[in-house]
Amino acid sequence: MNIQEYISSGIVESYVLGLASAEERAEFETNCIAYPEVRTAREAFELLLEKQAMESAVAPPAALKQKIFDNLSTVGEEKKVIAEQTPLRTMNWLKIAAAACFILLAGSLWWNMSLKNENRKLQALQEKIETLQAQLDSSSSHFAQMKADAEAIQKSSIKMAKMDGTANSPQSFATVYWDTTSHDVYLLVNNLPKPASEHQYQLWALLDGKPIDMGVLEISEKPLQLYRMKNAQAAQAFAITLEKKGGSPTPSMDKMYVIGKL
Amino acid sequence: MNSKTSYSEQELVLLLLQRSNSAFSYLYDNYSGALYGIINQIVSDTETANDVLQEVFINIWRKMDLYDSSKGRLFTWMLNIARNAAIDKVRSKGYQDGLKNQPLQENVDAHMVGRVVPKTDDIGLKKVLTKLKEEHRKLIDLSYFQGFTHEEIAKMLDMPLGTVKTRIRNALSQLRNMIQ
Repeated sequence: MNIQEYISSGIVESYVLGLASAEERAEFETNCIAYPEVRTAREAFELLLEKQAMESAVAPPAALKQKIFDNLSTVGEEKKVIAEQTPLRTMNWLKIAAAACFILLAGSLWWNMSLKNENRKLQALQEKIETLQAQLDSSSSHFAQMKADAEAIQKSSIKMAKMDGTANSPQSFATVYWDTTSHDVYLLVNNLPKPASEHQYQLWALLDGKPIDMGVLEISEKPLQLYRMKNAQAAQAFAITLEKKGGSPTPSMDKMYVIGKL
Repeated sequence: MNSKTSYSEQELVLLLLQRSNSAFSYLYDNYSGALYGIINQIVSDTETANDVLQEVFINIWRKMDLYDSSKGRLFTWMLNIARNAAIDKVRSKGYQDGLKNQPLQENVDAHMVGRVVPKTDDIGLKKVLTKLKEEHRKLIDLSYFQGFTHEEIAKMLDMPLGTVKTRIRNALSQLRNMIQ
């Protein structure tokens, strides 16, 4: 293609004045990029046309400008409404949604924490209740035991033997309660020195000068403990001796701590 | 609303894209006369020309982001908007109804109606046109000022399409030399 011929063919004017067909326009735009001289020719004609149009300008009525600008502000506002308010609304929704999420999250966290706290408190309370329950159980059983003991030794069939300390241990003191009907024997240790670990106290019933084994004493720490001993069919007196652990078949008379008659 | 500032075309385009009111005011002050001139070469009465000019500036404002500087100068773009708006107005039903004494053009499609006698023949390109040979003048008038396509003109004048194209091109080249 001869570019100079193309330029002077009237295509430049045709394009700039808007008379070229769609095909011609596309070709011209391509040529403007490919051939700088085409673009230069186009610009030269554009400037020429502009100059000519400026020279033959006709002033529009003065009031028209204000009228156009008034219309424009309406157009501008429409644009603004579309361009700004829409994202603004979206922002608002986003903000509201985010705030709602945050409140929900914070609320659930607080709920969770307070539940956890409550749970901990509840657990502590539960433990305390269990401890108290255990104490109560223990106290109750202890009380029941004491009550049973008290009842046992308050029966009308009970005979009591008050045993005082011997020369071995003048401070010692114990009491035997013997049920004449059921033949049950109870021992209350009022005061006896704590035996060494290899020794145990042993209770004897004395009938017609002969000692009868009534069992060894498992010393307990509990106060006012009433020890249940072997049954005795008959007895005139009771005595406690200190024997080797497990007890002896006959009492060591020299190790007698207390003795008392019924 | 007078703007004393002067902008380069590039600056003006950038400011218009940012919807600057002062740039638009500048644009109006500097170019409304030239655009009003071309409009008056196409439409026949002042009231319509005013309406068209208003439409043109609102369209420039609205369609600013469609302007492509690689395809031509801002003024060329605005000039074509003004020309097209004026031609559309002339062809509109309301405008045609107002022109009771104008005979309808024959051999044109339903939407391609009436030939209008514009208000001014003594300004701008129209004035230059009078210096052209009659056959060239008529082709430019039909294509540029009345907006008929080459095919429509070929039909109208019972002329081969190729001849219409060549003659229009020749006429435009002459026109150019005359305004140079």
